[in-house]
Amino acid sequence: MMTTRDIIDALTRTFDLNADVLRDNQIRLKLHKKQVAPVLLYLKNQLGFIHLDHVSCVDWLEENVFELVYIVYRPQDRLTVLVKTKIDRQHPEMENMETFWPHMRTYQRELREMFGIDFPGFEAPKEFILEGWDEMPPMRRDFDTRAYVQRTYTTRPGREDAWSVREYITRRTGEKLPDFVKKYSRD
Amino acid sequence: MSETKDIRIITRPTKEQIRQAQIDFSPRCTAAGRVNDKETQKMVQYILNFARKHSLFLLAYGTGCGAIEIPATLTSRYDAERLGIRGAATPRQADVLMITGYLSTKTLKRVIRVYEQMQDPKYVVAFGSCTINGGMYFDSYNTIKALDRYIPVDVYIAGCMPRPEAVLKGFAKLQELIQNGNAGNGECYRKNLDWYRANQQKVIKNWDFPDEYNW
Repeated sequence: MMTTRDIIDALTRTFDLNADVLRDNQIRLKLHKKQVAPVLLYLKNQLGFIHLDHVSCVDWLEENVFELVYIVYRPQDRLTVLVKTKIDRQHPEMENMETFWPHMRTYQRELREMFGIDFPGFEAPKEFILEGWDEMPPMRRDFDTRAYVQRTYTTRPGREDAWSVREYITRRTGEKLPDFVKKYSRD
Repeated sequence: MSETKDIRIITRPTKEQIRQAQIDFSPRCTAAGRVNDKETQKMVQYILNFARKHSLFLLAYGTGCGAIEIPATLTSRYDAERLGIRGAATPRQADVLMITGYLSTKTLKRVIRVYEQMQDPKYVVAFGSCTINGGMYFDSYNTIKALDRYIPVDVYIAGCMPRPEAVLKGFAKLQELIQNGNAGNGECYRKNLDWYRANQQKVIKNWDFPDEYNW
C-alpha cells in the first residue's frame, strides 16, 4: 500500500524534481523534456504505475510552447501521476517512447498528425486519422478552421442568414416574447 | 471565431430566392424519358415500379450517430419489414443506400465507392441534418457540408436525430417517388459525372479511383 507521500519521496530520492499533490490520489510533476522518459520508466518499473492512461497535448500559443501530459496509473491504490513537460512550438520534438507501452504508439501517431510533433526514430505509418492532409496540423490553435472550411467545402444556401429559432417561431405563431428572452436576441 | 458578426448578412433572402438557390445548387434529375403520368404510364412500368417500391433492400451505411436509429426502425417495434424494407449484405445486392449522419472526407471516399458499386435502379436516402447542411459540424475541417454535391440524393430526412417515425415517413416518400417514376439517380450521376468528379476531387486529396466508371 503506497500513498502519494511515499511516491513523492521515492521520486525525489531518485530524481531532481518538484512534485505537488493535486488531490489525495493525484500527483503532478512538471519536468524538463529530457527527464520525462527516465521518470516514466521509473514509475512503471519500480513504483508499479503499470498503466498508461492518456497522452495529450496542450497548445500554449501565447507562450509559444506545446505542453505534453502523460498520465500513468497504479491500479492497487488507484493513484494517478500527471507528468507534464513543455516543448518548443516551432520545432516540436519529443523522445520516442513506443517501447514503454504498446499503446503509446497510437498516442504518438495522433500527436504527430494533429499537432505535428516529431518523434525521432518513430517508424509508424504517416497517416493515422486524416487522409491526404496537406495543410497545417489541424489541432494547432493557429489553424484557421473557418477559413479552411469556407475555401474547401460548399455550404448549402439558406443558412447564412442566421435566424434566431425562437423569433422565427414567434413570428409564425404570433406569440409574445417575454422581456428576458429579448436580451439574447440576435437583432 | 471573432469574425462571426461580419459574416452575418443583414438583408435576409426571400423564401423564393432560397428555393431558387437550392435548385441551382446541384443538378436534379428530371423525369425526362421516363413515363410518369397516369395517361401514358405503361402497365409494365407500373408493375415494375410497384414491385420495386415494395422490396427495398437497404444498405445502412452507419457513419455517424444516426446508425443507432436503424436497429429501432428495422426491429419489432417499428418493423420496417412490413413495408418491404430489409437489410442487404453488400452494395451489389442493395437498392437503397442509407447515409446515417455526418461524413468525414475519409468516409466520403468509401461511400462513393459503395454507391458506384450498387446496381441500377439505386436510391440514396440521406439521414439527419449533417448530410443536409453540415448540422452541428458546419465549421468542422473534416466533414462535408452537403451530400448532394458528391452523390445524388433522393430523399433527405431532416432531424438531429430523426426518430424511427421520421425514417419511415422518409421511406414512404421514397416509395411514392418510385411509384411515380421520379426516384433513382444513377442515370443522373452518369450524365453529370464530370461535375460530381470535380466536387469529389476537391475534398478527396489522395485520389486513386479507377478512371472509368462502368457500373
